[in-house]
Amino acid sequence: MTTVESPALARDRRTRGNPLWQVSAEIMKIRTTRLWWLFLVGVALFTAWTVLRNGVGHHYELNPPLDQYPVNERAQAAAGAVQAATEAGRAAIAADMMTSGQLLGGLLAMLLGVVVLTSEYAYRTAPATFLTNPRRGTVIVAKLVTTVIAGIVFWAVSTLLDLLVTPFYLSSQHIQTSLVGWVPLRSVLLNLLAYVMWAVFGVGFGSLFRSQVAAVVTGLAVYLGGVAAVLGIFNLVYLAYRHAWVLGAPVIAPAVASLVMITPGPAFDHAPPQWVGLLVMLGYALVFGAVGVVRTRRRDI
Amino acid sequence: MIILAALLLIGGGVYWFTHRGQGRNSRPEPRGATVRPAPLVGTPRAEGAAGCRVVASGLSKRYGDVVAIEDLSFVAEPGRVTAFLGPNGAGKTTTLRAIVGLTSPTAGTATIAGLRYRDLDRPIRRVGAVLEASAAHPGRTARNHLRVICRAGGVPLERADEVLAMVGLTADGRQRPRAYSLGMRQRLAIAAALIGDPELLILDEPANGLDPEGTRWLRDLLRGLAHQGRTVLVSSHLLPEVQALADDIVIIARGRLVAHGTVDSVLDSLARPARTLVRTPEPERLRHALGETAGVTIGVDGEVCITGVDAAHVGDAAQRSGIVVHQLRTERPSLEDAFLELTGEVPR
Repeated sequence: MTTVESPALARDRRTRGNPLWQVSAEIMKIRTTRLWWLFLVGVALFTAWTVLRNGVGHHYELNPPLDQYPVNERAQAAAGAVQAATEAGRAAIAADMMTSGQLLGGLLAMLLGVVVLTSEYAYRTAPATFLTNPRRGTVIVAKLVTTVIAGIVFWAVSTLLDLLVTPFYLSSQHIQTSLVGWVPLRSVLLNLLAYVMWAVFGVGFGSLFRSQVAAVVTGLAVYLGGVAAVLGIFNLVYLAYRHAWVLGAPVIAPAVASLVMITPGPAFDHAPPQWVGLLVMLGYALVFGAVGVVRTRRRDI
Repeated sequence: MIILAALLLIGGGVYWFTHRGQGRNSRPEPRGATVRPAPLVGTPRAEGAAGCRVVASGLSKRYGDVVAIEDLSFVAEPGRVTAFLGPNGAGKTTTLRAIVGLTSPTAGTATIAGLRYRDLDRPIRRVGAVLEASAAHPGRTARNHLRVICRAGGVPLERADEVLAMVGLTADGRQRPRAYSLGMRQRLAIAAALIGDPELLILDEPANGLDPEGTRWLRDLLRGLAHQGRTVLVSSHLLPEVQALADDIVIIARGRLVAHGTVDSVLDSLARPARTLVRTPEPERLRHALGETAGVTIGVDGEVCITGVDAAHVGDAAQRSGIVVHQLRTERPSLEDAFLELTGEVPR
């Protein structure tokens, strides 16, 4: 039964649906709009800039121009330089160089997740999407998978640029350390997890909003406003309730957890270890991913 | 070694970027393609083949205290065009969305070929729906919009070019829909609905924005699809259009069913019977000649409206009394009259 001669449909003999079609369609949706390339270029430019900025920063950390420091800070700067030159310090520098660009990369992975979900409603394409695939859980999981893939690509581009610069930088600074040592490698892999979890977080977070603009703005606030604001709030709480764990508690905020997770050594005073940040981020990703599925299944489109 | 790998990755990325949007199955777009929609060359379905019957039974939807539809039951049969009529805000769109599972009803069920929409396997191959004309991402070309739907539905990507040709948009397929007129967006939405060559088409106000030629094309398309044995369910408020198109009608008002049946049966069920309209220079003599069985009213423009007797009776009476008659015609109630009487509202 065909309306016109259709060579295309004549070849279509599949009787059952396949969830992978949806993943493939979601990838196509991202590829056929421009946003994705703007984001990728943004990641590349920001990474290039931060890897240079971090390089300059570590140069002065290792070789502080002591004569330019106020007298009372010279001892501290000199001690910092000695600390940075130890084996652990050199590994931390390598880790920092190799995760340059994470701030914007994670942000854009998250925003891509927000946009992938909310643009279905903003541009009213959700009806077509859910008519083609009425199994809404499958659609959201496909969006999660797609955004995670995009997050991995962002991470790969960022890490690749870091990898192009870092070996030359380390040798130019006469820093003897191995890039495949556990400390930098662990940071690079945790960095990958951060991109992935921010992507998942973004899709679920987007499902909480009717308006795309509101979702993007709130997402930006959670990501960027997060660290300073949350640390400030918990410092105030500490003034009233003097227990050391209060100072480590900001890790419950996603932006802080993400920072703790990728920073070898304490990310701030009394910061919990990296694995705590990892668990918190994992929790957020799981909760928000589930929220995305549940919210979308119940929604009237 | 690492740098070599990096260069390979970058090179692969650039290759992929320059070749993106060209699926494995892609082929060059036909040049000089017709702007005119392709003709329908379908054949009637074989007798006895299972149709795609739509059954709504006790369908209700409330939003808080607001009742959108209440206890709505009707059937749309294969091989027929069923028109879904109602004033604005009567619940037409809510009903159509409930049938395809976009809105979950608070009570009742809607089934397609005996199944809920979400239980259909590959629904794209059974049901096509036009629910919102401008529903396309403004940054994606029309062709890519259709290809995305093909991908998600497991249909070969070339089908996108076929449906573009069917609705006469081949030449505009590489444009972004934000540059489209309302009529072109409507055609794009219809193209999307035709991707899976569905047995059931559901269209919400599809004639909106179409020019007279487009309206006629759509009417021929829908009639042709019904002729092939498909089910066509179309909502509209353009009553003359519906009268020319539909076999069956479902009329709702304020969320409730007010009439359901063939177009003729709904018209016949009206309380108001046919009337005879006469133009004559002697209206008062005609009133006298007809006697008391006929109801006669003389309009401000001099036209005499007669009820209670048929046109032959009026003509005979005029001839017997030697009354000059310039015009004599019978007027059946139109769908518009039926609509107004049944819904008690003015159609737009």
